[in-house]
Amino acid sequence: MQLAALLLVLGPGIRAQTGPNPFARNAQAVEEGGKLFAVSCAPCHGRNGEGAQGHAEGVRAPDLTRRVFKAGTRDEDLFQVIAKGVPTGGMPGFEPLGADAIWRLVAFVRSLSRFEGPTTGDAAAGEVLFWGKGNCGRCHAVGSRGANIGPDLTRGGRRSTAQRLKRSIVAPDEEIATGYELVTIATPDGQTATGVARFFDNFSVRLVDASGNERTYLRDEVVSVTREMRSLMPRDYAKVFGNQEVDDLVAYILRIRSEAMAP
Amino acid sequence: MRKLVWILAVASVAAAPPVTFETLKKAQEDPASWLSYGKNYYGWRFSPLAQINAGTVARLAPAWILATEAAGLNETTPLVFEGMMYLTGPSNHAWAVDLLTGHMVWSYSKFAPSGLGLCCGPVNRGFAILGDRLFKLNVQATLVSLDVKSGRVLWETTLDDYRKGYTATAAPLVVKDMVVTGIAGGEWGIRGYVDAYDAATGERRWRFYTVPARGEKGAETWGGDSYKHGGGSTWVTGTYDPELNLIYWGVGNPGPDMDGDDRPGDNLYSCSLVALDADAGTMKWYFQFTPHDVHDWDAVGDPVLMDIALGGKTVKAVVQADRNGFYYVLDRTNGKLLATKAYTRINWAGGIGSDGRPILTGKLDPTAEGTLVCPGLSGGHNWEPTAYSPQTGLYYFGSTDGCEVFTKRKQEYIEGRQYQAGGSQRPPRELNGGSVIAVNPATGEQQWRYEMISRPAGLLATAGGLVFTGDSQGYLIALDARTGKVLWHFQTGAEIKAPPISYSLRGKQYIAIVAGPNLIAFQVP
Repeated sequence: MQLAALLLVLGPGIRAQTGPNPFARNAQAVEEGGKLFAVSCAPCHGRNGEGAQGHAEGVRAPDLTRRVFKAGTRDEDLFQVIAKGVPTGGMPGFEPLGADAIWRLVAFVRSLSRFEGPTTGDAAAGEVLFWGKGNCGRCHAVGSRGANIGPDLTRGGRRSTAQRLKRSIVAPDEEIATGYELVTIATPDGQTATGVARFFDNFSVRLVDASGNERTYLRDEVVSVTREMRSLMPRDYAKVFGNQEVDDLVAYILRIRSEAMAP
Repeated sequence: MRKLVWILAVASVAAAPPVTFETLKKAQEDPASWLSYGKNYYGWRFSPLAQINAGTVARLAPAWILATEAAGLNETTPLVFEGMMYLTGPSNHAWAVDLLTGHMVWSYSKFAPSGLGLCCGPVNRGFAILGDRLFKLNVQATLVSLDVKSGRVLWETTLDDYRKGYTATAAPLVVKDMVVTGIAGGEWGIRGYVDAYDAATGERRWRFYTVPARGEKGAETWGGDSYKHGGGSTWVTGTYDPELNLIYWGVGNPGPDMDGDDRPGDNLYSCSLVALDADAGTMKWYFQFTPHDVHDWDAVGDPVLMDIALGGKTVKAVVQADRNGFYYVLDRTNGKLLATKAYTRINWAGGIGSDGRPILTGKLDPTAEGTLVCPGLSGGHNWEPTAYSPQTGLYYFGSTDGCEVFTKRKQEYIEGRQYQAGGSQRPPRELNGGSVIAVNPATGEQQWRYEMISRPAGLLATAGGLVFTGDSQGYLIALDARTGKVLWHFQTGAEIKAPPISYSLRGKQYIAIVAGPNLIAFQVP
């Protein structure tokens, strides 16, 4: 009876699945799942599953990096929601992809968890680097320490995986956090100011420069306002830090986050 | 005596002539009112009022604000008649508002079921009016008629089954004694149509399917059974030429959106403008902007009717800034292409041939890996209302400017499910923008362009020499209609998608806009 009900829910296309995922932690399956994700899921959930504006306005798909899902915690819960979709939320069902592909997607979605940290980094060493050699606190805040120019790291780039945090240190221009693109303003007295915008609209900009100076400009009072998809971060961290040091920094950021988000 | 005067005053209010087909045909001659979606049948959105102009607009300020408390984006064009405003909101809300005070007089709402096939929220774009009746579409694909005095439901007709992906968001168009409607659901495997209903009873007079069935003309442009879920939605209100008795209505994308493999052919009449005989609902002509579309480029931009001087003759034209990035001028008597011009960055076509077909630059179809295409999925010009000023002779419309990466995947049709077979994303290192564009309507030649950080809301042109629009950051903006220079802006506090309108009350001109859940009426004090 229960089986009949399950089959009814799932329809004729695909059989009810029970977990765990046959491809769990299978690196190749994760990679294949990633390719499927880029086509089928990323348009709404974002490239890294961070949750994004969907193809259409007003559709906001959930963040998939939180390790917590509305659909449930088990692999088969994820399978079910991918197969059947969320009709009330606008998510289509991906049943036609077939069970294997859906399991690969589940494996990939699991890999997106921002709690999957590197095991090689030493958080204590990272802390020393962060406040010392890296001088990261000149722009980033951690708790009550540091400055308020770049993204606040108290929650450690809340939607970032370890891999993504690593890329954002060594290749900061690769992906710019929303609202942190480089803004340059030229004023009538011949001065320019460069920084990130606290807000940016058709009539005004509030700029904070690399020294933390913050000011609102009305656009009809300045000569020009330009926006570039570049980061205000130093570009030489790949040279300044060795591989192990980058891992240490990431470990520190992940530790800060787990502390900040602990109940 | 005093009592008699009072009675006469009441009687004169009660005797206000109702809106008739004749009134609607002459809507442009009544500056005080706003009687249909596009202000007049031609879709001009031009107010002949001029009190608010370059000299006075700097002093424009709110007279009152009404908080409707209906959450969600509002895309409505309010109607104004005899001192009252009738406007719709998201999720089947609607209100009548006293314009002297900004007080709500009545409200209407209907429960919206869950599980609706909505790409872009439970939006609505407004009422239509005839006699003592208002007409609006509800999001679960019903058409309702309300008593203009009380908001009481007079009749409600079901267009289609929402469980099969059919929804409705457009403002209806009253033609003669009929209410003409469109349908939405192009991402949900519907088969689209334009309907006409008896205004008195709600009974259907005719239906024109935008996707021909097997055996009908045009069916050969669809492979196999693909026409059954071919999309061709009609989610934005059309226009009407009373002399030619033709209704002009834009048709949306074919389905599934990004995968055209199972629907070989041009997929008529998707991404087309169709001209329909108003009495019979039969097609007089069509013009397809994007044959075999795979980028979701619905041809639903306002089809605006104007008479254009061309080669020493006056031509009855219909213009459209199409979502595919090209502006088109057509002869509205026969659909013949008169002129075309790119208005934003385009990489998929090098131009439009004299036969009206795009000259493709290559194979820019979506792929599993992704294909960079300009413009992106939302265009180009999307649905936001446009404006034509006979005073400046310019046509105004908004645009998204930029590119997106389109992907596709295999997807089977399942009834009631999204049927898009792919999607699009902004490239990670690009900042797409938007603009208000003013063109010579006869040629598409750009006269000015006001650049913005994203695409503008709907537009309004006025005889005060102004063009009004709004933005996603909540600004209501007045531009000089001749130069595009910003003359005034006001932070309304909530996102603007709806088009501004203008009306007058007691001899004073107002600009009204819905920003988020708030209706704001502006005047020069």
